[in-house]
This record gives sequence, C-alpha cells and structure tokens, in this order.
Amino acid sequence: MPPGRRVGTVLWEIGVLAATGALLAFLGLPLASLLLRVPPGELWARLAAPASLTALRLSLVTSVCATLAVTALGLPAAYLLAMRRFPGKRVVEVILELPMVLPPTVAGVGLLLAFGRAGLAGRALGALGLSIPFTTLAVVLAQVFVASPFFVSAATAGLREVDARYADAAATLRATPGYAFRRVLLPLALPSVLAGAAMTWARALGEFGATIMFAGNLPGKTQTLPLAVYIGFQTDLQSAVALSVILLILSFTVLLGLRLAHRPPRVPWVGRAAGDAR
Amino acid sequence: MLQATLAKRRGAFALDVALEAPEGATLVVVGESGAGKTTLLRLLAGLDRPDAGRIAVGERVYCDPAAGIEIPAWEREIAYVTQDYALFPHLTVRENVAFGLRARGIPRRDARVRADAALERLGVAGLGRRRPAELSGGQQQRVALARATVTGPRLLLLDEPLSALDPGTRRAVRGELRSLLAGLAGVTVFVTHSPLDATVFGDTIAVIEDGRLTQVGARDELLRHPRSAYVATLLGVNLLQGSVVSRDAGGVAHVRTADGTLAVADPGVDGDVWVTVHPQEITLYAQPPAGSAQNVFRGPVVEIVPEPPAGDRVRVALGTSPPLVAEVTRQAVASLGLREGVSVYAGFKATGVKAYQ
Repeated sequence: MPPGRRVGTVLWEIGVLAATGALLAFLGLPLASLLLRVPPGELWARLAAPASLTALRLSLVTSVCATLAVTALGLPAAYLLAMRRFPGKRVVEVILELPMVLPPTVAGVGLLLAFGRAGLAGRALGALGLSIPFTTLAVVLAQVFVASPFFVSAATAGLREVDARYADAAATLRATPGYAFRRVLLPLALPSVLAGAAMTWARALGEFGATIMFAGNLPGKTQTLPLAVYIGFQTDLQSAVALSVILLILSFTVLLGLRLAHRPPRVPWVGRAAGDAR
Repeated sequence: MLQATLAKRRGAFALDVALEAPEGATLVVVGESGAGKTTLLRLLAGLDRPDAGRIAVGERVYCDPAAGIEIPAWEREIAYVTQDYALFPHLTVRENVAFGLRARGIPRRDARVRADAALERLGVAGLGRRRPAELSGGQQQRVALARATVTGPRLLLLDEPLSALDPGTRRAVRGELRSLLAGLAGVTVFVTHSPLDATVFGDTIAVIEDGRLTQVGARDELLRHPRSAYVATLLGVNLLQGSVVSRDAGGVAHVRTADGTLAVADPGVDGDVWVTVHPQEITLYAQPPAGSAQNVFRGPVVEIVPEPPAGDRVRVALGTSPPLVAEVTRQAVASLGLREGVSVYAGFKATGVKAYQ
C-alpha cells in the first residue's frame, strides 16, 4: 500500500474511534456521576423512604397501565398500517407518529384543552360528572399520548416484515383474517411487538412534561418518579439522585434486555429454482 | 369439476386463459418462467383478483366480477402448495398440517388425529414434533402436501411442486406424488416448466405461452398433434414406463415395458424408469432395417397428421407395441407409400432413448 493511503487509513480509524469515544464520554459522564454520587448503602435508605416508594409504585402502575392500553389500541392500528392500503394512510401514519417528536409540554397543553373543563371531550365528560385532569388517569393518558408511537412503529415494522407468503398460505388454508393474525402474523411478528411494548413502557416510565401539565404534581396521586426527581432536586438532592439512579437502571435494563432477546428468526430454507416471477 | 376463464393485466403482461377439468383429474399447465403460471394459480386461489372472468368449482361460483361475486380465499375449498411450501416456521409439523382443520373450527383432538394420518399417508409420520427448519427439502415438500390435502380440497393448486428438490429426491417424490394425486377426489391444477413432469402428471396438459393457452389436450393428443414448435419440442415425446432388466458393457440398458423391451442409453439406475423417445429419433422403413438401430418395432400406420407444426415434417402414429409416434419428412411419407393401415418398421438407436427414474 502506498504511504499516503496507509496514513489516510490510520487517520480514518483514529477519527472514527475518537468521535465515538467523545460521544460515549459525553453521554456516559452524567450517568456515571449519578451512579457515583450516592453510596449504595444510602441509596437503599433513600429509596425505602415512604415518599420515594409512593412515587415508584405510582410510576410502575401507571406505566404498566399505559403500556397495556397502547398495546390494545396500537396492535389493530399497526395491523391496519402494515396490511392494508386506504386513502389518507400517510396522514394517519403521521398523526400516529407525531407525539414522538412533539414537545411533551405541547402534548400536555393539548390534553388539557381537550379534556379540561371547557375542552371538547371535557365538557361531555363533565356532563357525566367525570373530570380527568389532575387524576391518576390523567397520568396514564399523558403516558399513552407520548409513548404510543414507539409501539405502533415497532409493531407495524414487525408485521410488515412477515413474509407475505405466510399470510397467503393461511388464507388458502381457510384462515379468516382474524385467525391468520392470531395464529400466524402475530406469533411471527412477536419479537418486534414485544420490543415496541418495552420501548413504550420505558418511555411512559420516563414521562415528565405532559404529565406535569395535564396531571399536576400531587404526591401519591400524580407524582411519578420523574416528577419526584424534579421536586427533590429543589429540596433534597440526595433523594432526587437516588430516584434518578432507579430510572437509569430500569431504562438500561430494558434496552439491554431487548438487545439480548433479539435473535435472528429461524425460517425454513428451501432452494428456490428459477422462480416464476408473475 | 373446474371451469375457469380468467383475464388479468399487469403492466405489459396479460393473462387470458380458459380452463376446464373434470372431477378427480389433474390438469397440468406447462410453460416457461414468466408465462403466467403463478399468476393463474393466485387468481384461482383468490389471492389476486381477475380483471374479468369466472371461476366455478362444481356448483359453487368462486369469482364472477361481472355478477359482483368474489369469494375470498379463506372461503374457497382449495389448497395451494407454493414453490417454496411456505410452512409456518413457528409451528410444529403437526400444527402446520392441522392448521387448515383448526382454522375451520375442527376441535384440536380431531385435527391432530387427522393431521397424523395425513403425515403417515405421505410417509413422514415420525416428524410431527419437528419444526419446518429441521426438515430436508423432500420432507418439507411432503409436509406441505399433507397440509394441503388433509382438508379434502375441491381444488388443489400445485406450483412447481418438484422444482425445489434436488434431483435425487425429485425422482423419488415424482412417483409418490403421482399416486397421491391419482387418489384425490377434487381437481388438481399443477403448474410446471418441466415437460417431463407435464407428461407424467397430466391427464390433460395445457401449454401456456406468454399468458395464453396455446394448446390444451390429452398427452397423446399433444404428442400426435402438436400445434406449435414449442409444444412439439417440449411435449411431443413418446413416454413409456418400464423397469431396467439388464445392461450391456457398452452403456446400453434394457427396459421392459408392458408392451415390449427397449434398448436405452444406460440411465445408471435400476428399478422403475420413465423412458422418452423423441419422434424425430424414429426412422420408418418398409423392410426390416439392417443398420445400427437396436430398437425395431413393426406395426400399422394408425394416423398421418396432415398439419405439421413447423417445416415439412409430419407426425405418424403407429399401432406398434408399444405404440409410438414418429416424425418424418413428407418425402419419406411419399417414398414409403405411407397411409393408414400400411405396415412399417420403426427403428431407433438406444442412444436416442432417454430413461429417467
């Protein structure tokens, strides 16, 4: 190899490693600081404090409820997006994706305007004697709003990736679309669907902006872990750090778990002869 | 009974065919890649919609766009084995075979018993607990056939069922598949690019060229009256069945058929074989030939087909034992004084005869 090319190759390697290292350090430093700030013994004591436990329990309950709701509504939506063509599909896709990039505070304002006393849905619910804002249900709704795109996009991609010939085979074996979905499509897309649910749960667990706008900050009722961190930051830094560490560990575990669980699917292989393309 | 007329355009390609087959029959549609064979099967299955046409199986009309009838695939009593089988990778072999039964609401236990029986019929009884990925190509093919036939479909669609197999397995499966299809009650539509498979499997053979059926008929009909050069080259061959009884040192084997013994190019295998003789390999003589032809049969001219598909060659059907069709020039017809009833000698070399297992 000519010297110029060799120098270039070495510089390229150094550049790639340096850039990656810089990004890793920038992201890792705050995380490491959180972990190193509180000694493990004290961490445990802070978490065992009643206020912390209350926030933790509320976060777990609401995020699980939100994930279940998103799964129940998002799976049919993903099926529709993956399998069917219909007018206005692009617009539907954008609407379902939008909360992913929308600032959560904007989501919170929107939810408040919709479900607040004077809102479109709020007025109807008010007539029934129901009020959603500043309740635990509002926490769940805020989480559903911001976290649903993670599920819908992962599940749609997963269903789309299932080879069309399996759906065709199911149909010719007398499987109705619903039966084919349950027995063939969903099992084959399950890794993606579960990954989407896990991402949704992690996002719901970390939800802050929409929650504080729409549900407020009521300990035991709407004060989830991220809100408790924010409040603790102003009053009791050590507790805030302890709660942050919990959130950090949960998020890390979810992402690592997804990577470890992802195995390439086993698909029977048969030699294809010169196929009839039509 | 299958009656179908179908038209479908896709870009520059247009399919336009009419098919008919009686109950219990196998209709082979033979043609080259891209001729529209898979398109045809997908229309029959209900996976694609025709632009125009009608599909009727027995009394039921599956599709008639003009009358607003379009029965979805899952309501049709069909089964469709695709080229790559499409066995469900997440289900066991038994669950795959039972799928069509479970989908129509048959209880798990009954479905399981029937699935096991179907697997046994196809000689893969021990594989029920395996996953498709653990099977060989030949085993996958048998499982796919079990899955398709266990429901007793009125219309069985097979897309190149042998093409994904290696040559050794293909030979073994060809015979099994033939007896399986012979035992089915409904109509089988079998598409293939292989002339040999077409002649082996087809009660009726339909030749498809560029989206159109250029000739439909029984094998003997296509052999005697090929209406295009394509049909004459690919399908107009004498096909006999027999078994290898002996072989010489010189690469010649002897195959005994029901009607007589043939000298053939040694296929290198023993047992039952298919033997093909191209009509052009056969020479006709007025007197017993003294040349190098190891095979000589005597018999009357049954028919001289007047319309040659190409050139000046005509086909002569002979009442020899076994019956043969020869392709000779018009000059030969004249010089031998051939006409119906005249007795002639048909001679051909062992090297002109191919045997397949």
